[in-house]
Amino acid sequence: MPKRRRTDNAVEEEESTPQKTRRTAQNDSPPSNATTPSNRKSILKGTPTRGPNGTSVVEPTPKSLRKVLFSTPAEKAEAAEEQETPTATRNDRSARRKSARTLQKQPDDESEDGDVAQDTALAEAILDQEDEIVGEDEEEVVVADASSQPTADTPTKRGRGRPRGRPKKERTPSPPPDLPPHELYFFQNRAGANKTSANTLAPNLLLNHEDYLTNINAYKDPHEQDIKRLADLHKRAFDQWTFEREEGFNLCLYGYGSKRQLLMDYADHLYHSSPKPPRIVVVNGYTPGLTLRDIFTLLAKTVLPKSTKLPSLPVPLLDLVLTHLTSNPPSPPITLLVHSLDSPTLRRAPAPALLGRLAAHPFISFIASVDTPQFALLWPPALLRQYNWLYHDTTTFKPYIAEIDVVEEVNALLGRSGRKIGGKDGVAFVLKSLPENARNLFRILVIEQLGAMSHLEADATLGGGDVEDEDEGMLGVSDDEDAAAEAQATPSRRQKRGRPPKKAKAAVTKKVVAPAAEGVEYRTLYHKAVEEFVCSSELSFRTLLKEFHDHQMVESRKDGMGVERLFVPGMGRGELEGLLEELV
Amino acid sequence: MEYEKCYVYEPEGQGPAKRRQIEPQGLQASWKLRREAYQAAWRAQKAQIDAKLSDLNAYAVRSLTAFLDEAAQSPQSSAIPTAILSTGPEASSSTAVTEQLSRDQNAQKCRVFLSISASTGPNLKALLKAIIQKATSRQESPDDDDEDDEVTTRKKGAKLLNYDLQLLADYVSERQLEQVAIAVGDTEGFDSDLLSELVELLGYWCDRIPVVLLLSVATSAESLQQRLSRSAVRCLKGQMFDVAASAIQLEHALEAVVADHPTIWPGSDLIGLILERQSDYIQSIDSFTHAIQYTYMSHYSANALSILLIPSIKFANIPPDHFEALRNVDSFRQHCRGILDDNQASRVRELLDSDEKLFNLAADSIRDLRDRLNSMLPAMKLLQHIQDILHSYPVTPTMPFSKAYKLAMAGRLTQDSSFIRSMLLSVRKSQQHIIGQVLQAFNISSIPATFRSQAETLGKELIRLSASAAGENVQLRSEESVKNSTLRTTVVAQKVELSKQKATLSKRDESYTKLLRRLSDLLERYFGEALVDPKTCLFHELVVYDLRSPYRDTFTPRPRQAIERALATPHDYLDCDCCGPDAASRGKEMMLASSQPTTAVLYQLYLESGSLINVNDLRQAFLAVTAEDGRSEEENTALFQRALAELRSLGFVKGTRKRADHVAKVAWRGL
Repeated sequence: MPKRRRTDNAVEEEESTPQKTRRTAQNDSPPSNATTPSNRKSILKGTPTRGPNGTSVVEPTPKSLRKVLFSTPAEKAEAAEEQETPTATRNDRSARRKSARTLQKQPDDESEDGDVAQDTALAEAILDQEDEIVGEDEEEVVVADASSQPTADTPTKRGRGRPRGRPKKERTPSPPPDLPPHELYFFQNRAGANKTSANTLAPNLLLNHEDYLTNINAYKDPHEQDIKRLADLHKRAFDQWTFEREEGFNLCLYGYGSKRQLLMDYADHLYHSSPKPPRIVVVNGYTPGLTLRDIFTLLAKTVLPKSTKLPSLPVPLLDLVLTHLTSNPPSPPITLLVHSLDSPTLRRAPAPALLGRLAAHPFISFIASVDTPQFALLWPPALLRQYNWLYHDTTTFKPYIAEIDVVEEVNALLGRSGRKIGGKDGVAFVLKSLPENARNLFRILVIEQLGAMSHLEADATLGGGDVEDEDEGMLGVSDDEDAAAEAQATPSRRQKRGRPPKKAKAAVTKKVVAPAAEGVEYRTLYHKAVEEFVCSSELSFRTLLKEFHDHQMVESRKDGMGVERLFVPGMGRGELEGLLEELV
Repeated sequence: MEYEKCYVYEPEGQGPAKRRQIEPQGLQASWKLRREAYQAAWRAQKAQIDAKLSDLNAYAVRSLTAFLDEAAQSPQSSAIPTAILSTGPEASSSTAVTEQLSRDQNAQKCRVFLSISASTGPNLKALLKAIIQKATSRQESPDDDDEDDEVTTRKKGAKLLNYDLQLLADYVSERQLEQVAIAVGDTEGFDSDLLSELVELLGYWCDRIPVVLLLSVATSAESLQQRLSRSAVRCLKGQMFDVAASAIQLEHALEAVVADHPTIWPGSDLIGLILERQSDYIQSIDSFTHAIQYTYMSHYSANALSILLIPSIKFANIPPDHFEALRNVDSFRQHCRGILDDNQASRVRELLDSDEKLFNLAADSIRDLRDRLNSMLPAMKLLQHIQDILHSYPVTPTMPFSKAYKLAMAGRLTQDSSFIRSMLLSVRKSQQHIIGQVLQAFNISSIPATFRSQAETLGKELIRLSASAAGENVQLRSEESVKNSTLRTTVVAQKVELSKQKATLSKRDESYTKLLRRLSDLLERYFGEALVDPKTCLFHELVVYDLRSPYRDTFTPRPRQAIERALATPHDYLDCDCCGPDAASRGKEMMLASSQPTTAVLYQLYLESGSLINVNDLRQAFLAVTAEDGRSEEENTALFQRALAELRSLGFVKGTRKRADHVAKVAWRGL
């Protein structure tokens, strides 16, 4: 089951790591590996994690068959170990891994007999032991599971012989009914529930602003009628709202969906239905650059006579407005209409208190919409007294068109820079206006950084177990052929794009020189640049770099050894690759 | 305009300027009348509550005024005279007191009263600035904000910084002020070092500035002492004052609400909700007033029949459709059913046909109901009083008025309710001095005279009995009192048998027992008559307002639940044909459907996942669900992005650095 859901992406990732360059393994892997996700429900539930040691690579020998049988429990054991990692078992694991490798190697090395047989025996012994441990681990997992969801059915899976096709854990998507809140919390936070796949989201899958806008504008909501009906329902309460406000209450509208249009309709209604239209000050709380000063200045301008000199700081400004209002009460009170009162800008420290003073004033009538479900935490009791809210559920189901910049928001969520100045598109734009040399230099930098990145990732995914391999590389034991295979495997597979093999090789060698650090060493970059005739002297090199620095395309940082390292900030692997594509 | 930061609203176009001035139709036609009625009714009610509360504060205010006077008279010593107001957890009660004080005190020319709170300033400088500014009531010029070196010229030469207390001292000597009283609102809110510094500094100046401090503490004077530095404590000469706790205020406010012939009575469920909120969230007394106000507002605006509550309403003023509505009221239907059961169909016919007859009936029954409700109050009072008396020796909490009111309005104090029964039982066991007090308690003017005279005769008999008993130096005993019977245990055939043995009663005791029986009968009759279940009365819907949902929805919202519900079962809000649970799966949990709004689809996928979510997989799943609608993948991706962005801004997910392209789940449903 877990393998079935592995996407091509993941397959590539796994296979591109230098440790798994055996082609036989790739070809003979079970067909289920290749299938793409199809089941929409289960895809999120128990997405697979693959054992970092890659034990699930299948060999066609009868011996390895035995291993396949237990490969799933082996993953399980690892998962269990993730939570409590005793060093003893970790050591054990590396021994196990070694023995697994010995077993795998066998068909290749069959020609040279001798102590190989002994090794095999030892390996088998260790693996046997592992199976036992695995069995125990699994028992533990099952028990823990049962205790965490007391009302659920008893777990069906016990013992080791489990049919392959079944999901790892059958979790009910919804909790058992009638759990008390604290039990619900533990149910939803139960251990082991957060196994997710290592799939990554290719950068081109997300739409940029233009594509997003064309698509979203083309989209026609099938619920349009219902949403309109809901809005009309709310509109029928307008007169009630007016009554409540006239009685000295302030209104706070909550619920899912943008309430902007509804509030503006209400402003319309207010303006046209009252005999003397009130002055309505609208504040768009969601605008990122909004300051309290903006609000108070606008208020002061509407309330105070034109010639008044306004203080610069918000608090005296507010005092001025309030004292003026007290001494010259406007005939219908000023209506202050705030969209998204709980937006990040209006959430910060002085804002709730100062707006509370406004709300408490008898000649200011406050209407606000709030979006987040936790807005009530904004106001301590003393403040609540000032606000004097009446709350209304105005769920509109309208999209937050003005409130949310969707593309940016998603990019920020995923830690991508998107189209900001420092982002991929921005960098590409700057590069277009730079000379050929600068572009070449940046290309080298990006390649190097990608190389370093892939090394880092390999380190991260493989854990401590592959130290020997690295040692081999360090010592130069790995033969040329192997290196070439690696070189071929690493970049081309990952990116499906032809790149000069020379650079790929460079990336590989780089990896050996600079393990476990972000970016590129200053020296190395310089030498590479000279090698490629990008620049001839350090002075020209620095001039080029300075240009990048000025556009914040490059940052430098000292690493633990005190060596200066250069890197392109704020971009993930996908974006770097995309950038590289544009550069080449 | 949606991308402006803020702006003054301008209507778009001149179009519908007059269109909206349509006269309301149907039952809303009477809204104007009802609104006026509301305003009159609420104004009267508000005045009563306010009067009651200021009465309540009056004692504290008086004693504090006396304290201030004394401090002003006595020569300044080395310590600052300090009043410590203990307020309990709700600080607003002290604010009410200090506000009243400041009104009184500032009227006197020779005193200055000012109040500061923790939010006045973060440091000593800001505090002093504020104090000086407030005391000298100097208008701060617009742009002197942070310029600390701003100086004020004095007549006598040297320039001073604007936080120098010398300014205040000069002001005091200039105006020959007797006293500068500083009320500190929430001492708990202050940084303890800051408060200590302030007190110490004022201590140094108290030979030149006649300062008096009023510190209100929510905890206790001991904890205040612990928080202040030792030298600061040495500067203070404290005196404790108790300000009425908010719970007591609440009781009195509730009494004020129902005491003096109110137009509507809040029902038991509603009062229960309001009181619960008051105690759960430590709300100020204001919020109680607001809740009552909202009750009035809801009743008058939402119930068109409230037009009948207008005291001077004439039959001609009521639109005819209101009578149609009146005929649909539940209690009226029951009333008709009752008449029909008495075989008086013609009367029902009359009521159904003639609006005028109905109007007269309504007016009469509303008056009756009001009278009954009004007569419930003394009964509640008496009940409360008797409870107090009965439970005075075992220390149990006596019954607060709010509880009595709640029980009475719920109809749980009727003649055969368990509460009344147990009370009568304990009356019948009581000793003579308690009975004496109970009989005295009857002497409330609002209790009907017949009952009072009966109680009086009983009282006389009791006096006679106890006088003769006192002559012989014995206690009067009731037959039913436990003290008069002894328990005997006998072992018969290995079983324990308990048997009660009554002590033999003297003649006098017998007559005492009889007296107790008569008293209990009297009480029973009185309570039976006075305490009716208002919900059984005709047209109680018009006079007793007991709807919970408007109050609950507007004062104690559950925003999180609303949003979760909207996203988990959008059908509840949209009421669309496509997403509703079909007949087969009715009652089960809502299933994912491609027809649902996209954010709802994504949210439900989100609910299924663990604490970390792989965005790629989430997208795949989302596309798999929405693919059924036949939109292009790009379009669906756009929708996916929008939904994800919405979830983020609603605070359901946040970015994580634990794994690439993962987001962390932040909000758990139903918690």
